[in-house]
This record gives sequence, C-alpha cells and structure tokens, in this order.
Amino acid sequence: MVEDEKSSAIRPRKLIVRVLRATIKGLLFFALYYVCWLFLAPFAKMIPDLQQTVQIFVRVYICLVVVGELTAGTIYQHFFGVANDLFVISYLILSLNSGMFSMTYQNVALEVDLRLFLMIATMLSFIGLSKTILQAINFVSKKAENAPT
Amino acid sequence: MDIPIRMIDFATAACWIFLIVFCATAAYSIKDLRLDFGNSRMATTTDNRILVSFPLNIANNGYYDIRSFNFSTKLLGEDGSTITQGSTLIPTIGIGEKLSILHNLTLDVNDVMQSDQDFLFNDTQLNITESIGMVIGEVIPVEASGNISIPWGAPLYDLKLEKPQYIAVNYTQMQVIVSISFDNHAFFNVTGEVHLRMYNSANQLIGHGQSMVDAAQHSHFDGQIDLNVAVSSITQTGRFELDFQTPLFSFGSRVIQYG
Repeated sequence: MVEDEKSSAIRPRKLIVRVLRATIKGLLFFALYYVCWLFLAPFAKMIPDLQQTVQIFVRVYICLVVVGELTAGTIYQHFFGVANDLFVISYLILSLNSGMFSMTYQNVALEVDLRLFLMIATMLSFIGLSKTILQAINFVSKKAENAPT
Repeated sequence: MDIPIRMIDFATAACWIFLIVFCATAAYSIKDLRLDFGNSRMATTTDNRILVSFPLNIANNGYYDIRSFNFSTKLLGEDGSTITQGSTLIPTIGIGEKLSILHNLTLDVNDVMQSDQDFLFNDTQLNITESIGMVIGEVIPVEASGNISIPWGAPLYDLKLEKPQYIAVNYTQMQVIVSISFDNHAFFNVTGEVHLRMYNSANQLIGHGQSMVDAAQHSHFDGQIDLNVAVSSITQTGRFELDFQTPLFSFGSRVIQYG
C-alpha cells in the first residue's frame, strides 16, 4: 500500500522531468537551427527553396525528438528513434536529388556533385538506425531481466 | 551493452559534426570563389584562323585548394552541332591564390559558314557555351555553365552588284562592267579575289571575270569587275554567280539575278 502511494507520487514527477527534458531538447535544437541558419542565409538568395526545405526538416526532426523524449523509458522511444533515422535518410536522398544538386542563378547553371556527401551521410544515418535498434534490444532484454519471475 | 552503444553514439556524432563542418566550409569556398570575366577579344592568327580570347581572373578566397579547374568554351552551330571548342586546365589553385588566365578559342571562318552563311552577310551574334568545372575540397565536383553572345560583324555586309553596264568592244564582243560594293563590318581586313560568272536566261555561262578586293576592317568597299561576253549570247535577264577567295575564308556561288 505504501509502495503504491510512493510510485503514484513519483509518476507525475517523472512526467514533469520528461516534459522539461523534451522542452529543453526542442529549444536547444531550435537554437541550433537559428545559429546554423545565420550561416546558411547567404545561400538562401541563390537557392530559392532552401529555407522551406530546411524548415520542414527541422520541424519534423524536432517533433520526433520531442515525442521520443516524452516517451523515454518505454519501447515507443525507440520506435520514434527509428522513425527519426529513417526520416533523416529519406529526406536527405529526396532533398539532395540523389546527390546531384543543380540550380540556376542569374543565367548560370550550377551543378554540384554531392553523391559522396550523401553516401557518407546515409551511412552515418544507417549506423544511427542500427544503434537505435541495438538500444531497443538492450531495453527489451533489460526489461526481461528485471521482470519478476 | 550500454558502453558500446554510447561509443557508437559518440563516434557517429563526431562524424556528423565533421561532415557538416566540411560541407559548410566547402559551400563557403564555392561562395567565396571570385571569377571575373573580362571582355572577350578577337584577333586573327598567322594560320588565318580567328582567335577569340577570354580573360579570366580567379581569386580563391575559400578554405580549400581547388583542383582540376577547367574552363571550356564551345561554339555551337544553328543545328546544335559543335563548330569549335577549347579548354584551359589549371591543375591546382591554392588557398588565397589569385590568377589571371587567357582562355583561347580558335575558329575557322569556313567552319562557321558551313553552319550558317548568314555570318558573312549579316551582323549577328556568336553564341558560345561556357563551362567551368572544378573539384573543391578534393571530393566535391562543381560545374557551372552559361551562355554568352559575342557580337559578330559581317565581312560582306550589304553585298550588292549594280546593274551591269555594256560597252561594245567590237561587233561580236562586249565588255560588261559590274560594280560591286559591300561594308566590311568584321574586325579583320577582307583581302582576296572575287570571281564573277555571268549566265544568260538559257542557263549558259557567257562570261567570267575576276578582281582584287581589299577592304579594311569597318570600311566600305566599292569596286568593279569586267567581263568579256559574246554579243549573241547576251539576254535581257540572267544571273551572276559570285565567288570570294580570301586567306580567312572562301565561299562560292552567291547567286544574284540581273535584268
């Protein structure tokens, strides 16, 4: 009875901590985006869709990070982690047009071959994806170890 | 399991930071690369070809060396075929290095005329496709391309043959004097021979003559060509066929009707 009261008191505190962590993480990512955007702004004049592309990416990424943080300590955290990694991979491939980036600026056609960058970024994302899967396996095995027999 | 996962986390984070910093600096290197194109110049070579020179100033203000800097130009014909092309390769441009290069494109006027004879008679534009390729940071190939137009002055602008004048030489022969005029709008002198063949209405060659032409650049030329023609073969109408032979170009059979 006393244990039940204790756990019910801990739950709201845990939830508040999670919400706080998610808020701080979200704000940190937004701050990082604003700092990065200061460096990217000169290119926005040359690449018309750059701001929109980056904004969509940042919004979805932050949403998935915040939801992942809110579901921390559950298996759903890892689901959102996998979703985040898959989103990064697919968005990179789609937005970079499979690595061949081309644009026209003042009657000059510019073509940048980013295939190597895309390959490395995709590989890193896949490593991130496998890490998330490992975390999920670790989480499940720990839960199974701690379960009362 | 926690420690290996954290190790993977740190390793991937470090790789991501390195990759993002590299890409950002490479993007800034492209932005900070200064390319200043000077005005193109035209001249003739000793082997009677036209040399188009493109001065280019390059300043690498970026964070990386530029490798395989290749400036190429291509003159395209009306049908999209390549008339002539040229390229200039600079193996490496170091960080902070400033270079001035002169890219040359040589072209044969005869090749240009094969594409379109209009270049001889009408002022027009030479449409040249420019392309600049380079490798930034050893791994990012970048290519920029565009089109430029260079004004082309026709060497035989407003080419005209005046109405032939007939002077009797004897009972059977007649001297035909044909005045020829044109404006040389080209940047080179037109020096050579002009051949004129006269045909009557029955399509018979009735006489031919030739004359020297010497028209300085951007000047008007007036001259005349004399032909000896049999009186019996002359008809009221017919045609002249005009050929030009110059060291820079030769072209045949511009047909001008008379009568």
